[in-house]
Amino acid sequence: MHRFAVLLVLAAGVFETRFASAHHSFAAVFDGEQALTLTGEVVGIEWTNPHFHFSIDVKDEAGSVTRWRFEGYPPNMLVRQGWRRDVTLTPGATVTVEGWAAREEPNLGAARWVTFADGRKLAAGPPAGTGGR
Amino acid sequence: MTNARTSLAAAALLCIVVAPLAAQPSAERPPPRTPDGKVSLDGIWVATGAIMLFEGQEAFAAARAADEAAGRPPGNTGETPPYKPEAEARRQYYLERQGLDDPMARCLLTGVPRINFRPLPFEIVQLPDRVIMLYEIHHAFRIIPTDGRPHPEDAEPSYLGESVGRWEGDTLVVDVRHFNDDTWLTGVGTIHTEDLRVTERYTRDSYDTIRYEVTMEDPNVLTRPWTIRETFRLRPDERIREYECIESNEDLLRFERLLEGHATREAP
Repeated sequence: MHRFAVLLVLAAGVFETRFASAHHSFAAVFDGEQALTLTGEVVGIEWTNPHFHFSIDVKDEAGSVTRWRFEGYPPNMLVRQGWRRDVTLTPGATVTVEGWAAREEPNLGAARWVTFADGRKLAAGPPAGTGGR
Repeated sequence: MTNARTSLAAAALLCIVVAPLAAQPSAERPPPRTPDGKVSLDGIWVATGAIMLFEGQEAFAAARAADEAAGRPPGNTGETPPYKPEAEARRQYYLERQGLDDPMARCLLTGVPRINFRPLPFEIVQLPDRVIMLYEIHHAFRIIPTDGRPHPEDAEPSYLGESVGRWEGDTLVVDVRHFNDDTWLTGVGTIHTEDLRVTERYTRDSYDTIRYEVTMEDPNVLTRPWTIRETFRLRPDERIREYECIESNEDLLRFERLLEGHATREAP
């Protein structure tokens, strides 16, 4: 147990500078323990700094729809990952998002990967644990 | 005929000079030099940690393996900063609050050395009398005189401090003072006071890498000088893009809400 705790502390230290976030500590808003994968229809895209956001409508088996909003890289990093504004992600498209849920805010997530209908998968945001503890 | 012969000779000479350079893997290429004989730091660089975001885990692991083979120290050893007990208590307080108090999240200029570890590239422009650092993050810049002038007399405390550089052999040594206390040194809660002094050492030890060593001194909060290291990697195909932080920074409001919801103890 003690060794595990030490490992955790070490991991936190390593994440801190190596996988540093550009803007804020991941843990300030999101929970790296709450991984999620959601598929839905894109209903909004905000190509803004210091994060881009997009929303998808996720339908459950009973047919009820929940709108999820995701946060990701700023435009400078998205472009480096192969994204283009108004081209890569478009309203009406169906995408699968892998990421993590916010600790407190409902239906908000940090997007790590987005998979498009043609199978292409692009990084949308940093890994969990970045920018701090 | 003479012209043709000269051209042929020039071409042959060019082959002799250029071919070995081209054939040599860049890791073994020596660092370039400026006309005045100094090693040139010119180029667009990124901290090794950022390779993870730019190219993924495999590339990051390869970069670290290359560093190890070349004897370059890792960027972070997991070492606990040598804080005095009161300052360490304050750091722990900020850690417990998951970094909600991070000045960077409020889009304030990131200080030195933290700005060098951000996962966004920066460009170094080396001139005979000064070195200019152009950061993608916040579109920030530093102008570092290397002409022997002292620190300015009228310097006010600032986020990036006042930098004065000098060359020690092939190493650029930068003495940074006159900081305000509104930045963190590296990670969450790494506080400092206005008495902070930072000494940075930039050594381009190969064509592709700069060894970076930075020592932070602040007797108000640290028990001893604290030295950390990082390797900056050349990104020849990169360009400095715009990163503007305020535009849609929802985190200001979000953090206020979260802070209200956090009935945490008083700051020590």
